[in-house]
Amino acid sequence: MNWVWFHKLGSPKWFFQWASKWSTPVFYLGLLCLLVGVIWGLVFAPTDYQQGETYRIIYVHVPAAVLAESCYLSLGVAGLVYLVWQMKMAPIFIKSMAPVGAAMAAIALISGAIWGKPTWGTWWVWDARLTSVLVLFILYMGIIALQNTLEDVALANQAAAIVSVLGLINLPIIKYSVNWWNTLHQPASFGLTKKPAMPMEMWLPLLISLVGFYFLVAGLAMWRMQSEILLRERRSQWVKEKVMNDGV
Amino acid sequence: MTYLSYFKAECLALFRTKQRVVNALLFFVMVVVLFPLGIDPSADFLSPAAGGIIWCAVALSVIVSLESMFKENYVDGVLTQLILSGLSLPWLMLIKVGVYWGAMVLPLLILTPIFSEMLFLPSDSLWVLISTLLLGSPGLFLIGSIGAALTVSLKQGAMLMVLLILPFYFPIIIFSSAAIKAVQLGMPYGGLLALIAAISLLALVVSPVMTSLCIKASVR
Repeated sequence: MNWVWFHKLGSPKWFFQWASKWSTPVFYLGLLCLLVGVIWGLVFAPTDYQQGETYRIIYVHVPAAVLAESCYLSLGVAGLVYLVWQMKMAPIFIKSMAPVGAAMAAIALISGAIWGKPTWGTWWVWDARLTSVLVLFILYMGIIALQNTLEDVALANQAAAIVSVLGLINLPIIKYSVNWWNTLHQPASFGLTKKPAMPMEMWLPLLISLVGFYFLVAGLAMWRMQSEILLRERRSQWVKEKVMNDGV
Repeated sequence: MTYLSYFKAECLALFRTKQRVVNALLFFVMVVVLFPLGIDPSADFLSPAAGGIIWCAVALSVIVSLESMFKENYVDGVLTQLILSGLSLPWLMLIKVGVYWGAMVLPLLILTPIFSEMLFLPSDSLWVLISTLLLGSPGLFLIGSIGAALTVSLKQGAMLMVLLILPFYFPIIIFSSAAIKAVQLGMPYGGLLALIAAISLLALVVSPVMTSLCIKASVR
């Protein structure tokens, strides 16, 4: 197997050029998928016989919640990569991704609260799923705070990587909280491996919306990483040449 | 240097280290989350306790945010410059505390309705909670600034400051949670609010003078 791409990922210059090609199309593809999925889900998908129209929040809530976990998983993997191979790109990735993940967790929490009010009759309950997602949000905020507080870049990189890896323990707790404890939050309603519990006309827009969220986040992360690379490599020759030739 | 330029400089300095305020707010969130997780997440327990929980979290996060208030100014010599500036040191301290108060209280007022909803605080108590916060928090900041000035020259001053200052917070916390309890029981609470305001006003008179005395004692 050819591992050249893996080594190339470690080079900020190569990544910058690659990302400047891909970030915009990926972002707009994500936006398109999201619009299609959300409009389809909110307007055309059939009404649920149990929850009525309120169930339509899943077209925003479920993708945001899935992304909040996926983003953290990617942070943990990047943290591990940094701790093992000291790759330059890993801390850049962590720094760019953490605010995006925090935003996703916040969207999941807020949309869940909006859904909970008419359905459960309360904005918030301290059940296992909700609390563990709140902890996830706080973990994201902690990583952001760590990077903003520590002035020594090497120390901030190391610390953020360690916290990212440590926080991985929260992910299985979130995932299985609905199975381990008897919670108010319903069990997972979406999965690729098992037969969906909802009809196709509801499931398909959810899938499209989820794919849209993934692409959107990937595009956002690439944009953020590009600016972080420019900031960190500002003393290197290729950045100077690029700024001289193309402007900022 | 004038009072106005000092005010502007303080605002700018605080804005540039805004992560500190964010950290104190995160600490507030953590303390609030501890209570339902550690004791009982049911509405039966949380609903009467919510006001007290939020007040404890506010008091602790205010101490945490004030702990480093003078540290950098002490290390880089700004405090010496303030003493030598010819302006009245108590007024300068009051300006500094006021800037910290504004930066911390506005986000706290935004967070309070969210967390009182999460702690099942009855909505008629929310306005009393917010008025106790508005009346009591100046007292917290003013008293806290004395502790921050006292421990400014110490390497490990944080714990000492908590030990010194927290006892002075007790009256404010007691009267605030009493006011919130009173409104839940349908009793008058105006007198308790007046007491909280009186403590803050007393602190307003005494604490800038005390703070500047401590600063002068620490900077030699």
